[in-house]
Amino acid sequence: MALTDREGWALIHGLVFGALFLLAFGGGFAGLWSLREKFLTAEGVAERTPRLLIGTVGMAVIAWLTVIVGTWVVYPWYRAVPPEGADLTDYPKSLLIASPTTADWHNFAMEWKEHVAWFAPFLATAVAFAVAYYGVQLVRRSDVRRAATTFFILAFVAAGIAGLFGALITKAAPVA
Amino acid sequence: MSSQPANDTKPNGPVAAAFIAAGAASFALGLIVVLNEAKILSGAFLDFAKNYGIGSGVGPLSGKVILSTIVFLAIWGILGFIWRGKEVNFGRAFAAALVFLALGFVLTFPPVFDLFLAK
Repeated sequence: MALTDREGWALIHGLVFGALFLLAFGGGFAGLWSLREKFLTAEGVAERTPRLLIGTVGMAVIAWLTVIVGTWVVYPWYRAVPPEGADLTDYPKSLLIASPTTADWHNFAMEWKEHVAWFAPFLATAVAFAVAYYGVQLVRRSDVRRAATTFFILAFVAAGIAGLFGALITKAAPVA
Repeated sequence: MSSQPANDTKPNGPVAAAFIAAGAASFALGLIVVLNEAKILSGAFLDFAKNYGIGSGVGPLSGKVILSTIVFLAIWGILGFIWRGKEVNFGRAFAAALVFLALGFVLTFPPVFDLFLAK
Protein backbone atom coordinates (compact mmCIF):
# COMPACT_ATOMS: atom_id res chain seq x y z
CA MET A 1 0.00 0.00 0.00
CA ALA A 2 2.70 2.44 -1.06
CA LEU A 3 3.34 4.52 -4.14
CA THR A 4 6.71 4.79 -5.81
CA ASP A 5 8.06 8.24 -6.59
CA ARG A 6 7.08 7.75 -10.24
CA GLU A 7 3.60 6.50 -9.42
CA GLY A 8 3.12 9.51 -7.14
CA TRP A 9 4.05 12.00 -9.88
CA ALA A 10 1.94 10.15 -12.46
CA LEU A 11 -0.96 10.36 -9.99
CA ILE A 12 -0.45 14.10 -9.48
CA HIS A 13 -0.21 14.64 -13.25
CA GLY A 14 -3.20 12.57 -14.22
CA LEU A 15 -5.58 12.32 -11.31
CA VAL A 16 -5.01 15.30 -9.01
CA PHE A 17 -4.56 17.92 -11.74
CA GLY A 18 -7.13 16.10 -13.89
CA ALA A 19 -9.78 16.30 -11.18
CA LEU A 20 -9.00 19.96 -10.47
CA PHE A 21 -9.12 20.70 -14.20
CA LEU A 22 -12.57 19.11 -14.48
CA LEU A 23 -13.77 21.07 -11.46
CA ALA A 24 -12.45 24.36 -12.83
CA PHE A 25 -13.91 23.61 -16.26
CA GLY A 26 -17.36 22.86 -14.85
CA GLY A 27 -17.46 26.07 -12.84
CA GLY A 28 -15.96 28.22 -15.57
CA PHE A 29 -18.18 26.83 -18.31
CA ALA A 30 -21.37 27.26 -16.29
CA GLY A 31 -20.30 30.81 -15.45
CA LEU A 32 -19.51 31.74 -19.04
CA TRP A 33 -22.65 30.11 -20.45
CA SER A 34 -25.03 31.84 -18.07
CA LEU A 35 -23.35 35.24 -18.14
CA ARG A 36 -26.12 36.97 -20.11
CA GLU A 37 -27.84 40.25 -19.42
CA LYS A 38 -31.30 38.70 -19.80
CA PHE A 39 -30.55 36.17 -17.04
CA LEU A 40 -28.90 38.41 -14.49
CA THR A 41 -29.31 41.62 -12.56
CA ALA A 42 -26.33 43.97 -12.17
CA GLU A 43 -25.89 42.59 -8.64
CA GLY A 44 -25.97 39.05 -10.01
CA VAL A 45 -23.23 39.85 -12.51
CA ALA A 46 -21.10 41.48 -9.82
CA GLU A 47 -21.62 38.52 -7.51
CA ARG A 48 -20.62 35.83 -10.00
CA THR A 49 -17.81 37.56 -11.88
CA PRO A 50 -15.14 36.87 -9.21
CA ARG A 51 -16.17 33.21 -9.20
CA LEU A 52 -15.90 33.10 -12.99
CA LEU A 53 -12.44 34.64 -12.74
CA ILE A 54 -11.36 32.02 -10.20
CA GLY A 55 -12.70 29.21 -12.40
CA THR A 56 -11.03 30.40 -15.61
CA VAL A 57 -7.72 31.44 -14.04
CA GLY A 58 -7.72 28.20 -12.07
CA MET A 59 -8.22 26.16 -15.21
CA ALA A 60 -5.40 28.01 -16.98
CA VAL A 61 -2.99 27.53 -14.06
CA ILE A 62 -3.87 23.84 -13.73
CA ALA A 63 -3.48 23.35 -17.49
CA TRP A 64 0.03 24.83 -17.38
CA LEU A 65 0.99 22.77 -14.31
CA THR A 66 -0.35 19.58 -15.91
CA VAL A 67 1.58 19.93 -19.18
CA ILE A 68 4.78 21.07 -17.46
CA VAL A 69 4.74 18.17 -14.98
CA GLY A 70 3.70 15.76 -17.73
CA THR A 71 6.44 16.90 -20.11
CA TRP A 72 9.33 17.48 -17.71
CA VAL A 73 8.69 14.95 -14.94
CA VAL A 74 6.66 11.97 -16.19
CA TYR A 75 7.51 11.90 -19.91
CA PRO A 76 11.30 11.36 -19.45
CA TRP A 77 10.52 8.18 -17.46
CA TYR A 78 8.14 7.06 -20.19
CA ARG A 79 10.65 7.52 -23.04
CA ALA A 80 13.84 6.42 -21.23
CA VAL A 81 16.00 4.10 -23.35
CA PRO A 82 16.59 0.73 -21.68
CA PRO A 83 20.09 -0.68 -21.36
CA GLU A 84 20.86 -3.92 -23.18
CA GLY A 85 18.88 -6.83 -21.75
CA ALA A 86 16.84 -4.70 -19.32
CA ASP A 87 13.35 -5.65 -18.18
CA LEU A 88 11.14 -3.53 -20.45
CA THR A 89 8.39 -3.16 -17.84
CA ASP A 90 10.47 -0.30 -16.44
CA TYR A 91 10.58 1.38 -19.88
CA PRO A 92 7.00 1.98 -21.06
CA LYS A 93 7.74 3.35 -24.55
CA SER A 94 10.12 0.52 -25.37
CA LEU A 95 7.67 -2.01 -23.96
CA LEU A 96 4.84 -0.68 -26.13
CA ILE A 97 6.77 -0.49 -29.41
CA ALA A 98 8.32 -3.94 -28.86
CA SER A 99 5.04 -5.60 -29.86
CA PRO A 100 2.95 -4.89 -32.97
CA THR A 101 -0.19 -5.38 -30.88
CA THR A 102 0.72 -2.49 -28.54
CA ALA A 103 2.91 -0.26 -30.76
CA ASP A 104 0.02 2.05 -31.68
CA TRP A 105 -0.38 3.01 -28.03
CA HIS A 106 2.86 4.89 -28.60
CA ASN A 107 2.82 5.60 -32.34
CA PHE A 108 -0.69 7.02 -32.32
CA ALA A 109 -1.94 7.65 -28.79
CA MET A 110 1.21 8.99 -27.10
CA GLU A 111 2.38 10.87 -30.20
CA TRP A 112 -0.94 12.73 -30.33
CA LYS A 113 -1.35 13.19 -26.59
CA GLU A 114 2.08 14.70 -25.95
CA HIS A 115 1.43 17.46 -28.49
CA VAL A 116 -2.29 18.19 -28.34
CA ALA A 117 -2.22 18.56 -24.55
CA TRP A 118 -0.27 21.79 -24.97
CA PHE A 119 -3.20 23.48 -26.72
CA ALA A 120 -5.13 23.50 -23.44
CA PRO A 121 -2.96 26.04 -21.56
CA PHE A 122 -2.76 28.36 -24.58
CA LEU A 123 -6.53 28.41 -25.00
CA ALA A 124 -7.37 28.51 -21.29
CA THR A 125 -4.95 31.41 -20.77
CA ALA A 126 -6.63 33.46 -23.51
CA VAL A 127 -10.02 32.81 -21.88
CA ALA A 128 -8.77 33.71 -18.40
CA PHE A 129 -7.29 36.92 -19.78
CA ALA A 130 -10.58 37.86 -21.45
CA VAL A 131 -12.45 37.36 -18.16
CA ALA A 132 -9.84 39.25 -16.14
CA TYR A 133 -9.68 42.10 -18.68
CA TYR A 134 -13.41 42.70 -19.00
CA GLY A 135 -14.59 41.72 -15.52
CA VAL A 136 -18.24 42.69 -15.06
CA GLN A 137 -18.24 44.26 -18.56
CA LEU A 138 -18.02 40.79 -20.13
CA VAL A 139 -21.80 40.42 -19.82
CA ARG A 140 -22.13 43.24 -22.37
CA ARG A 141 -19.61 41.69 -24.79
CA SER A 142 -21.54 38.72 -26.15
CA ASP A 143 -19.03 38.31 -29.02
CA VAL A 144 -16.12 37.90 -26.61
CA ARG A 145 -18.16 35.73 -24.25
CA ARG A 146 -19.14 33.36 -27.07
CA ALA A 147 -15.54 33.16 -28.28
CA ALA A 148 -14.32 32.54 -24.73
CA THR A 149 -16.89 29.77 -24.25
CA THR A 150 -15.80 28.13 -27.52
CA PHE A 151 -12.10 28.29 -26.59
CA PHE A 152 -12.90 27.02 -23.11
CA ILE A 153 -14.64 23.96 -24.58
CA LEU A 154 -11.80 23.38 -27.07
CA ALA A 155 -9.27 23.59 -24.23
CA PHE A 156 -11.28 20.91 -22.46
CA VAL A 157 -11.39 18.78 -25.64
CA ALA A 158 -7.60 19.02 -26.04
CA ALA A 159 -7.06 18.11 -22.39
CA GLY A 160 -9.68 15.38 -22.68
CA ILE A 161 -7.89 13.71 -25.59
CA ALA A 162 -4.63 13.86 -23.66
CA GLY A 163 -6.21 12.64 -20.44
CA LEU A 164 -8.08 9.75 -22.03
CA PHE A 165 -5.04 8.49 -23.91
CA GLY A 166 -2.88 9.04 -20.85
CA ALA A 167 -5.12 6.77 -18.81
CA LEU A 168 -5.23 4.10 -21.51
CA ILE A 169 -1.46 4.19 -22.08
CA THR A 170 -0.86 3.94 -18.35
CA LYS A 171 -3.10 0.88 -18.27
CA ALA A 172 -1.08 -0.73 -21.09
CA ALA A 173 2.36 0.27 -19.78
CA PRO A 174 2.44 2.15 -16.47
CA VAL A 175 5.23 4.51 -15.48
CA ALA A 176 6.23 2.84 -12.23
CA MET B 1 -9.70 46.33 -38.66
CA SER B 2 -10.73 49.06 -36.17
CA SER B 3 -14.37 49.66 -35.25
CA GLN B 4 -16.40 51.25 -32.44
CA PRO B 5 -16.37 49.78 -28.90
CA ALA B 6 -19.59 47.96 -27.96
CA ASN B 7 -21.75 49.25 -25.12
CA ASP B 8 -19.11 51.48 -23.54
CA THR B 9 -16.89 48.58 -22.66
CA LYS B 10 -13.11 48.42 -22.86
CA PRO B 11 -11.69 48.10 -26.39
CA ASN B 12 -11.30 44.48 -27.48
CA GLY B 13 -7.83 44.72 -29.08
CA PRO B 14 -5.86 43.09 -26.22
CA VAL B 15 -8.35 40.21 -25.95
CA ALA B 16 -8.34 39.65 -29.73
CA ALA B 17 -4.53 39.55 -29.51
CA ALA B 18 -4.67 36.84 -26.82
CA PHE B 19 -7.09 34.69 -28.85
CA ILE B 20 -5.04 34.95 -32.04
CA ALA B 21 -1.86 34.19 -30.07
CA ALA B 22 -3.39 31.02 -28.62
CA GLY B 23 -4.47 29.83 -32.07
CA ALA B 24 -1.13 30.74 -33.63
CA ALA B 25 0.81 28.93 -30.89
CA SER B 26 -1.24 25.78 -31.54
CA PHE B 27 -0.52 26.08 -35.25
CA ALA B 28 3.18 26.70 -34.52
CA LEU B 29 3.35 23.52 -32.48
CA GLY B 30 1.75 21.55 -35.33
CA LEU B 31 4.11 23.09 -37.85
CA ILE B 32 7.16 22.30 -35.72
CA VAL B 33 5.98 18.69 -35.35
CA VAL B 34 5.70 18.38 -39.15
CA LEU B 35 9.08 20.06 -39.74
CA ASN B 36 10.62 17.67 -37.24
CA GLU B 37 9.08 14.64 -38.97
CA ALA B 38 10.38 15.93 -42.31
CA LYS B 39 13.84 16.36 -40.69
CA ILE B 40 13.86 20.05 -41.62
CA LEU B 41 14.14 20.72 -37.89
CA SER B 42 16.25 17.96 -36.38
CA GLY B 43 15.50 16.21 -33.12
CA ALA B 44 18.95 17.26 -31.90
CA PHE B 45 18.13 20.94 -32.50
CA LEU B 46 14.78 20.61 -30.76
CA ASP B 47 16.25 18.86 -27.73
CA PHE B 48 16.24 22.07 -25.68
CA ALA B 49 16.39 20.04 -22.46
CA LYS B 50 19.83 18.76 -23.44
CA ASN B 51 21.05 21.81 -25.38
CA TYR B 52 20.14 24.40 -22.75
CA GLY B 53 19.93 22.29 -19.59
CA ILE B 54 16.15 22.73 -19.29
CA GLY B 55 15.30 19.40 -17.71
CA SER B 56 16.65 15.96 -18.43
CA GLY B 57 15.54 13.30 -20.88
CA VAL B 58 12.62 15.26 -22.35
CA GLY B 59 14.07 15.13 -25.86
CA PRO B 60 12.75 17.06 -28.88
CA LEU B 61 9.37 17.63 -27.22
CA SER B 62 11.08 20.22 -25.01
CA GLY B 63 12.01 22.40 -28.00
CA LYS B 64 8.64 21.97 -29.67
CA VAL B 65 6.68 23.19 -26.65
CA ILE B 66 9.14 25.91 -25.64
CA LEU B 67 9.16 27.36 -29.16
CA SER B 68 5.36 27.28 -29.40
CA THR B 69 5.10 28.94 -25.98
CA ILE B 70 7.49 31.66 -27.19
CA VAL B 71 5.24 32.12 -30.26
CA PHE B 72 2.24 32.46 -27.93
CA LEU B 73 3.86 35.11 -25.75
CA ALA B 74 5.48 36.97 -28.65
CA ILE B 75 2.33 37.23 -30.77
CA TRP B 76 0.24 38.16 -27.75
CA GLY B 77 2.78 40.83 -26.77
CA ILE B 78 3.19 42.28 -30.28
CA LEU B 79 -0.49 42.30 -31.26
CA GLY B 80 -1.49 43.40 -27.77
CA PHE B 81 0.88 46.36 -28.08
CA ILE B 82 -0.33 47.27 -31.59
CA TRP B 83 -4.00 46.88 -30.62
CA ARG B 84 -3.88 48.37 -27.11
CA GLY B 85 -6.71 50.84 -26.68
CA LYS B 86 -8.20 49.80 -30.04
CA GLU B 87 -11.45 48.14 -31.02
CA VAL B 88 -10.87 45.56 -33.75
CA ASN B 89 -13.18 43.34 -35.79
CA PHE B 90 -13.43 40.61 -33.18
CA GLY B 91 -15.34 38.19 -35.39
CA ARG B 92 -12.56 38.25 -37.94
CA ALA B 93 -9.86 37.92 -35.28
CA PHE B 94 -11.61 34.96 -33.68
CA ALA B 95 -12.14 33.30 -37.07
CA ALA B 96 -8.41 33.61 -37.72
CA ALA B 97 -7.69 32.11 -34.30
CA LEU B 98 -10.01 29.17 -35.02
CA VAL B 99 -8.38 28.52 -38.41
CA PHE B 100 -4.93 28.49 -36.77
CA LEU B 101 -6.22 26.18 -34.05
CA ALA B 102 -7.86 23.80 -36.54
CA LEU B 103 -4.58 23.60 -38.47
CA GLY B 104 -2.80 22.89 -35.19
CA PHE B 105 -5.16 20.00 -34.45
CA VAL B 106 -4.70 18.60 -37.97
CA LEU B 107 -0.91 18.90 -38.02
CA THR B 108 -0.46 17.26 -34.61
CA PHE B 109 -2.65 14.29 -35.62
CA PRO B 110 -0.20 11.39 -36.11
CA PRO B 111 -1.67 10.01 -39.39
CA VAL B 112 -1.24 13.52 -40.84
CA PHE B 113 2.27 14.34 -39.63
CA ASP B 114 3.42 10.82 -40.54
CA LEU B 115 2.76 11.81 -44.17
CA PHE B 116 5.74 14.15 -43.86
CA LEU B 117 8.08 11.53 -42.38
CA ALA B 118 11.50 11.79 -44.02
CA LYS B 119 12.44 8.58 -45.81
